[in-house]
Amino acid sequence: MNSLMGKYLKINLSSSVIADEKTPVEWVELYTGQKGLGSRILMENFDPATDPLSPENKVVITTSVMGGTIVSCSSKLAMTTKSPLSGTISDGSVGGHTGAELKYTGYDAVEIIGKAEKLSYLYITDKKVEIRDAAFLKGLGTFAVDAKLKEEIGDDELKVLAIGPAGENLVPYACISSEKYRQLGRGGIAAVMGSKNLKAIAIRGKLGVSVKDIEGLMKYSKEVTTRDEVTSDDNEIYDLGTSCLVDYSQESGLLPTRNFQEGRFEDAEKINGQSFKDVRKNKKGCFSCGIACGNYVVDGAASVEGPEYESIVLGGSSLGIGNREKVIEFNSICDDLGLDTISAGGTIAYMMEMTEKGLHDFGIKFGEIDAVIDMLTKIANRDGIGDEAALGSKALSGKYGGEDYAIQVKGLELPGYDPRGSWSMGIAYVTAPRGGCHMSAYPIAEEAWGELDPFSFEGKGKLVADMQNSQFCKFSMGVCDFWPINDETLGRLFELSYGGAWPADKIYKTGERIFNLQRMFNIMAGFDRKEDKLPGRFHKELLKAGPPKDIAYTKEAFDKAMDEYYSYRGWDELGRPTIEKLEELGIEKKFIEAYKKAL
Amino acid sequence: MPLKFDLSKCTGCKLCQLACSASHYDVFNPEKARLKMIHDYNDDGIKIASKSCIFCKKCEKVCPEGAISNNGKWMIVDPEKCIGCNTCVTNCPTKIIFLNEKKSTICDLCGGEPKCIEWCPKGVISLRQKKGAAV
Repeated sequence: MNSLMGKYLKINLSSSVIADEKTPVEWVELYTGQKGLGSRILMENFDPATDPLSPENKVVITTSVMGGTIVSCSSKLAMTTKSPLSGTISDGSVGGHTGAELKYTGYDAVEIIGKAEKLSYLYITDKKVEIRDAAFLKGLGTFAVDAKLKEEIGDDELKVLAIGPAGENLVPYACISSEKYRQLGRGGIAAVMGSKNLKAIAIRGKLGVSVKDIEGLMKYSKEVTTRDEVTSDDNEIYDLGTSCLVDYSQESGLLPTRNFQEGRFEDAEKINGQSFKDVRKNKKGCFSCGIACGNYVVDGAASVEGPEYESIVLGGSSLGIGNREKVIEFNSICDDLGLDTISAGGTIAYMMEMTEKGLHDFGIKFGEIDAVIDMLTKIANRDGIGDEAALGSKALSGKYGGEDYAIQVKGLELPGYDPRGSWSMGIAYVTAPRGGCHMSAYPIAEEAWGELDPFSFEGKGKLVADMQNSQFCKFSMGVCDFWPINDETLGRLFELSYGGAWPADKIYKTGERIFNLQRMFNIMAGFDRKEDKLPGRFHKELLKAGPPKDIAYTKEAFDKAMDEYYSYRGWDELGRPTIEKLEELGIEKKFIEAYKKAL
Repeated sequence: MPLKFDLSKCTGCKLCQLACSASHYDVFNPEKARLKMIHDYNDDGIKIASKSCIFCKKCEKVCPEGAISNNGKWMIVDPEKCIGCNTCVTNCPTKIIFLNEKKSTICDLCGGEPKCIEWCPKGVISLRQKKGAAV
């Protein structure tokens, strides 16, 4: 008896065939759950060259092996696919209660392939799985989809993963909403759902999750959450949520302002943590989470859970907008339309800068909040100029120029940290498997906000790689970023839930294996070192205020740091994992053989 | 002696329900908890509510088999006498009683030291003291 449910669901929307499969224990041993298991299921009988919007692409939903248990913040849900925005493997996760709900249906994972003949939704419970007609949901925003499905099914506790008009219209940075305000944001997985005519997934489970040693788990779980101050009211993430980072970034001179042209925003105090706390109505926690970082805020006519730091930056300072109510409105409208706030904001910021510089007139300038709100609706509906903006900043810059101002890596728009103010964030951005993302590693906590020199690359290749390896196992085991858990504690919780021996070195190695598996996918999809690059702006322009003032972030120094990163990882000079490294990690032979052919 | 809730502190994490099901059934399942917290968004914003035994003793009165009694602090179900007829479930004013393996299931305050109180990270739950009793 352990916390694995033992089966996963395979759904082919083209043939309407629904089947239960045994969850292969050997996959769990190698990749655990969530991110790792999702990547493994995606890669089974899958060509990495697959067109992301074709029926052959997969949407893989995975729970974590500790999901549904009492272990704090361990019940997130992940979705993995090949991204229509970046063309890379792309997984994202969402908190809230949906991951635990899926676990309680009895499934560890769901694999969806094919394309439904007409707009459909999936209904998954512990008793039945059905593909149902979704004509009545066509064109609706995600908030209305959530409400209508609860009404249709007659259960307020239903959990819904929904796409909005953006996903239906195949915007490559369309996101999925869960429980209204929780978003699985990045890489356009909602467009993949849209391409499959899949409007929503409604989930309700009433089974329980057993563990290997329930007494031991409860005792240890309580001990370590207390020790790590996870449940403390003094935890800044509880007090302010991620919006606390606005002050940190401003102080460090790396708060993206007007499309990363500057690192300090004159109106930062109007959109910082305290400002949002002033209009907070309630706290909101995810399933089994003692932290409760969520904030439900209401300001004037606008309300949202959040806004999270990245949305404040990409919908605020980076657009030149220092209006709290409007930032909340930006966030809420993106959630309802099903648009990633980071990519939507990043793309619009590029258009603003191009217009102001006179390079191309997109008809929108910094600070024009009403035009931004109008643009979001046009993007989701692919209406007029919105059809252009829907391409994303990389594709737009390919068409209209200004590549240096398209702030993205591999097509994925960057989050809210200017790498000129914390150098190793640049290494993290270019090596994150899904493109420009801050979740694979967060070295800023050690650099700009820690003890290490933020303006040096010394030892940073190793720093980023080590962080990525630990993070990839932590996320695959389902634990939220906001618990700074060490590998030893994570392994012990996993042992008590699932069983076996999971010492710290095995946790690290498991994460390294998963990271390399995703890198293999990308190499087989045609990527290598040439795509591991930052937008030109960061190497060519200097920031003019705060700690990074006038410090050059040169391409030469960056390339040298990348050499060190690849070498530490056991990859070749083109950033490709060596066969020896893959064999050492125990990656399955069939993948290594396929990889050899792609080299 | 029913449970008391300060809903302004609740974050909806359900740790209380997980601790409840684990302590009674050795499984993590919010559906098998003897209390329930509701913390969901609706059209009006956010709805926060609790459901738990209010110690009204109606179940004791309506039980046709005399299977339910109380000790002045919590309800007690005698599984030998319970026939799983559902009468207590349908008559419970808070709809918190349910059948588990065909036997009535009611909050027993974990014998006086409720696990839900122990596990709540935000101090939402406490025991309601009798009038006049020292707090």
